[in-house]
Amino acid sequence: MADPTAFYEPEDDELLSSLAVPAYGVSAHAFHDEFQHLQELEQHAYPPSVAQQEEEHLAALEAIPQDVKRFLILFHQAILENDLPSISNMYESGWTKLTTAHYANSEWPEAELISPLVQNDQVFLTLYRELYFRHVYARLQPTIDDRFQSYENICELFNYLLNSDGPVSLELPIQWIWDMLDEFVYQFQSFAQWRANPKQKTEEELELLAEAQQVWSCYSVLNVLYSLIQKSHIDDQLKAEKEGKSPEEVAELGGEYGSKPLYRHLGYFSLICLLRVHVLLGDPTLALQTVEHVELSNTAFITRITACHVMAYYHIGCAYMSLGRWPDAVKTFVQVLIFINRMKQYHTRSYQYGAITKQCERMYALLAICTTLSPGPSDESIMAIVKEHYGDQLSVLQRGGEEALATFKELYLGACPKYLTVNPPPYEDPSALEVYAQNPPVDPTQRHLDLFLSEAQAVSGVSTVRNLLKLYTSIDASKLAAFMSPDETDGEDRVLEQLMMLKAASRTYARGQGMGVLDGEKVVTNNLDFTIEGTMVHVEETTAHRRYAGFFVRNAEQAMRAFNTIRSSPLPSPSVRRPQSAVPLPNSAIPPKPSATTIANGVPASDGAWQQVTKRQVRIVG
Amino acid sequence: MQDLSQAVPPKTLSEWHNPSSRTDVIRDLIHGVDRYNPSNLSFMEDYLASQVQDGSYDLLANLAILKLYQFNPQLSNPDVIINILLKSLSASVNGSDFNLSMSLLREPAAILHDIESDDARFMILIPFLTHLHDLIRNCRFAAFWSEFNGGSEGATILRAAYLPQHPHLIPTLRVRFATSIASSFSRISLIRVQRWLDLSESDINDWCASVSWGIEGSDAVIPKNGDNDVKAGVVRENVELSQLTKLIAAAAY
Repeated sequence: MADPTAFYEPEDDELLSSLAVPAYGVSAHAFHDEFQHLQELEQHAYPPSVAQQEEEHLAALEAIPQDVKRFLILFHQAILENDLPSISNMYESGWTKLTTAHYANSEWPEAELISPLVQNDQVFLTLYRELYFRHVYARLQPTIDDRFQSYENICELFNYLLNSDGPVSLELPIQWIWDMLDEFVYQFQSFAQWRANPKQKTEEELELLAEAQQVWSCYSVLNVLYSLIQKSHIDDQLKAEKEGKSPEEVAELGGEYGSKPLYRHLGYFSLICLLRVHVLLGDPTLALQTVEHVELSNTAFITRITACHVMAYYHIGCAYMSLGRWPDAVKTFVQVLIFINRMKQYHTRSYQYGAITKQCERMYALLAICTTLSPGPSDESIMAIVKEHYGDQLSVLQRGGEEALATFKELYLGACPKYLTVNPPPYEDPSALEVYAQNPPVDPTQRHLDLFLSEAQAVSGVSTVRNLLKLYTSIDASKLAAFMSPDETDGEDRVLEQLMMLKAASRTYARGQGMGVLDGEKVVTNNLDFTIEGTMVHVEETTAHRRYAGFFVRNAEQAMRAFNTIRSSPLPSPSVRRPQSAVPLPNSAIPPKPSATTIANGVPASDGAWQQVTKRQVRIVG
Repeated sequence: MQDLSQAVPPKTLSEWHNPSSRTDVIRDLIHGVDRYNPSNLSFMEDYLASQVQDGSYDLLANLAILKLYQFNPQLSNPDVIINILLKSLSASVNGSDFNLSMSLLREPAAILHDIESDDARFMILIPFLTHLHDLIRNCRFAAFWSEFNGGSEGATILRAAYLPQHPHLIPTLRVRFATSIASSFSRISLIRVQRWLDLSESDINDWCASVSWGIEGSDAVIPKNGDNDVKAGVVRENVELSQLTKLIAAAAY
């Protein structure tokens, strides 16, 4: 890690050697060894005090609640045996339950403390520390030591995964693999934000930051993600899958590492994390290029982990926004939001439900922005939620003007990614740091906000002229100028400029069926169009016929549901019916499924009738 | 070399993110981890120089240069940054190219600080180019030319130090502006075209011919291109059979 440029080295071995524990880590280990050595010396010199220490240690171990101890032993066992269902269960529910019961406001026991419980298994302890620090970040305020140690620990883990002799035999549930990488990027983001502000740092913190430049640096984070991607050949695998190659062929492409589920999934999720990092660093084209081969349909692997699904779509949508491709952004957000709303009943109890809901809320806000900048038909159910949550803001946005700009700003700041700067303040140079602190550079989020606002202003500024045009079939530009800016001498030119912008605002590029993420074809997004002949503006409005398909499909579905309910409800009890029936049926004659004819009080509603109705509807629709 | 003989927007973005002028070496470079290798920087900068020379354009390759500067601030080259911004400025009227380049840059003072330079021209040019971009983005073409040809410090530096190396800048800008005009106008007075494209009266006829615009009296007649000849239409609902598979499946049992 000493050489920050190492990760583009094409040689695999060299590539991974750069992933070795960072210099800081090494020195810490050296220190640790020395410490142990000293301890041993002390042991000989003062046996009583060591005994006392051991006693303290034992007492602390003793103090750990019994159920936690039992859990850790079983957890360790499950991981040793690669027993995925048990690991999953303990990871997703056991850990959370024990956290709520014992560690709601404090750390889990230190890894060193519990090591006797797990036979000092270093791999398990590394995994345990990963969970330990994640808990600190989620529930408590991480100190600088936590931040550094967490980095060191995760590097150790990736080092173990990538630099052992051949692929390791460990197996982890995909949820954990995603959470681990997601947390890795989150802690990087959190550290970068914390580091960006040199004010309110203690002496010790300043010193540590000056010393350890490479801790949580962009390079090291990209290094890990790219290494995982390369090691697993995930890009080749995904490309082959898209081409329809057989699983055996794909596995062969994956090679020694990539054919194993653990490495394949690490590679896959690294792509999504890389997408996010690139967006945060202000490079949306590179972000989209990263997920070029990832299948993004609603049935793809990505939907198996809801948090990953939401994270990926949110950042893809944001990338499209930076490219000014509003319809694609809208489509991306809508697609994932529909999915989440449908799945709501299944994941409300998930431990990540809160985070997912928050991310979705951001997407609703961004949808308010995008649909204002590029109005057009969109999914009604999702737009209803947008209107419910952001109704007031939407009407301000659509009115235009200064007030709208302030609302764009407010919505964007609340919902945009927390952009990062690659370059930390000059902690190694105290005098430069002083200058830096007094005159800090513009916050990256502010820079992105400014770029967004300049674009939003240009696009939304045309709403006045659009509203005016709606009233005419043809009008001279000089007349429009008299309405819009009566005081200006070059009013006509200004109006014509506005009209060219209106034209541009209603043309954009959108990703078509089967296209790559960066690809797009020209589309018209507005129903109000015009041609200018000299200075005469001819307005043409395209009207849309009423849409019937949705209506029929919805009603057919409703009829179907009603029919199914009736079908599946039990027969009226025989005691009521028997007196009415002239010939009592023998038991065997009662059909196994209650037939619709018998239930619906004499109204014939057989399967045949249902078929007929639907067919007729299809004919109308088609 | 980009096609400057037609003032119509491209139908797809494939030329934008994967230009035909891009060589395989460059393609591999910007799609792989090698894009982070600073030793490729001079190679990438040469590629930019060739774009400036022959009028071709490769945004993604240029962004890769800015990415290298982002990670290696001590290697930043103000001249290269200005060239990249000029290329993206003339890439399109409504595209996001300029802003995409800007989002990889920090403020000019910070960039200069890291290379221990006090290049005053750079400090002036960045805000000036941003201003020019704003004018273009808002289709204020006449205002753009009066700024571009004006006496401000930024304009003077731009014309003296950069314009001579950019033989394609002005012709490209003209075609971009003309593309915007052609999307809206089917006919436009020549005087206005002259003003918006900064052309003299003697050049206007030849220029119109170069993009196949006709001339009738004092007007330029712009050929139909799908955007300047819109007709009121009715959008009919179009339902594909594949969208109804569920319904039909339900009907089938």
